[in-house]
Amino acid sequence: MMKEIVDDLTLPLTAEESKTGMVHVNIGPEKYGPETPRNLQQFYADNGMTDFLPIFLPTEEMVEEMLAGTSHKPDEVVGKMAAGAYPPWEYTVKQVAINAVMAGCKPEYFPTMLAIAASGTPSLFSSTNSFAYAAVINGPIRDKLNMNYGIGALGPFAQPNAAIGRAWTLLSKNLANGGVPGDTYMGSQGNNLNYNNLVIAENEAASPWVPFHVQKGFKAEENVVSLFRGLGIVPGQGARGTSTDTPKYEEQFSDLFSVFTGFFGGLVVADPLIAQNLHARGYDTKEKLIDWLYKNTTQTVKDYKSRDFAYGFDYPRALKGLEPYATWYKMPDDAVIPRWPHLNDINVVVAGGQTNAFFQGGSLSYGVSVSIDKWT
Amino acid sequence: MNRRKLLSLLGMSPALLAGSRVDGQQSNSRAKSPKAASGEAKVETLNPKGTPPPIQLIAMAPRLGSLDGKTVYLVDTGFEGGGFLLNQIQLWFNRNMPSVTVVFKRKAGPYAEDDPALWKEIKEKGNAAIMAIGH
Repeated sequence: MMKEIVDDLTLPLTAEESKTGMVHVNIGPEKYGPETPRNLQQFYADNGMTDFLPIFLPTEEMVEEMLAGTSHKPDEVVGKMAAGAYPPWEYTVKQVAINAVMAGCKPEYFPTMLAIAASGTPSLFSSTNSFAYAAVINGPIRDKLNMNYGIGALGPFAQPNAAIGRAWTLLSKNLANGGVPGDTYMGSQGNNLNYNNLVIAENEAASPWVPFHVQKGFKAEENVVSLFRGLGIVPGQGARGTSTDTPKYEEQFSDLFSVFTGFFGGLVVADPLIAQNLHARGYDTKEKLIDWLYKNTTQTVKDYKSRDFAYGFDYPRALKGLEPYATWYKMPDDAVIPRWPHLNDINVVVAGGQTNAFFQGGSLSYGVSVSIDKWT
Repeated sequence: MNRRKLLSLLGMSPALLAGSRVDGQQSNSRAKSPKAASGEAKVETLNPKGTPPPIQLIAMAPRLGSLDGKTVYLVDTGFEGGGFLLNQIQLWFNRNMPSVTVVFKRKAGPYAEDDPALWKEIKEKGNAAIMAIGH
């Protein structure tokens, strides 16, 4: 290896290394075919434009139908999205529509897809970590689209939940050139959630708390999609006896989060039964629960400093004097500190069908909330 | 049907294959089926790609010819394992190329953040730099 390094510092540049000028990336023709559907399916898969499952072929007719789901013009620029370190690619309403068709979206789902696209957030990221992504959907649109927020809310039991999540990954691949292994995707193990991401329609009617989008400043009647990024989500039920007379779910959440890195936020996805129990026990707002979790989910400074994420991200912040990292790095190894740097690193949403008092805990950070209504 | 034939059918250059995904991850078994094109109606479909910006190519900096008497900066970005790797590189230079002055620096900020002060220092005081991201 050292010979290669020394050679790279001393040998003359090759012609390739000396090149200058502009490079224009060829994305191919506007249309493919005419060809049989079977061959086209294989062509899209072979050229990395799918998730390697069959797609709905985006014919002009199908795309026109999708475009009827919004009042925005087909050639309107929706946004830009970057795959890793490359410059971001730009895309129009029509280009988003093509991907929405491929994923199996109906035209009424299209404003939600446009909102996700407008966020510029890809669901595939170049990190060697294998990131997972989540989209929390709030507002009356959940019922208009027949989204599932009841039994099996996080499973493959409703077309809008499935197709919206899948479309997010397809547009991340095609509109931003994301998810090219070894190039724009370096996740060592990959993440199964990337197939259709974690789409969570909040069960607002059964929740005793305000919906997530209202916490973020939107009105209850607005339709909003909120995006998260992190490492994944795991079920946490049974950690301390769910069926005891006095289950303390907040302690169960804390137990689960204590094995997470703390680099990403904590997302509780609680069945309404748990939310109602916590509400009855005095957590009459999500904020009270979050405050308890922040104060009671802790770690030692020694454990904190031992984490790669702390060395790579927080230590340089500490050197710059940013808090709480600067204080944490001055504390003794046995000092106890919160697992998350900030209170707002913790979020709570309610989803599920009340068949049991179960929950899931995500190592997922909140990113952004985008209005769906702006894209109708 | 292989991918080159399929591309040809679709009116596209087989050169596109050079830009396709990692070899070995794609199955051509269905495309090779002799039934693939039998009796099915043909359709036209749309390209789902976004619009990439033109990319400005910048030539790499001229190489040094020799490292004798030169100053090489080792820059730890903070990425997991990078510092350990650079420590080993520093030891190697000390043992095998003692005429090289090696300066070890931890870049300010997380690894994806710019550090203009360090780049300025390297330009002024160094002849070359090696960055490492570990693993």
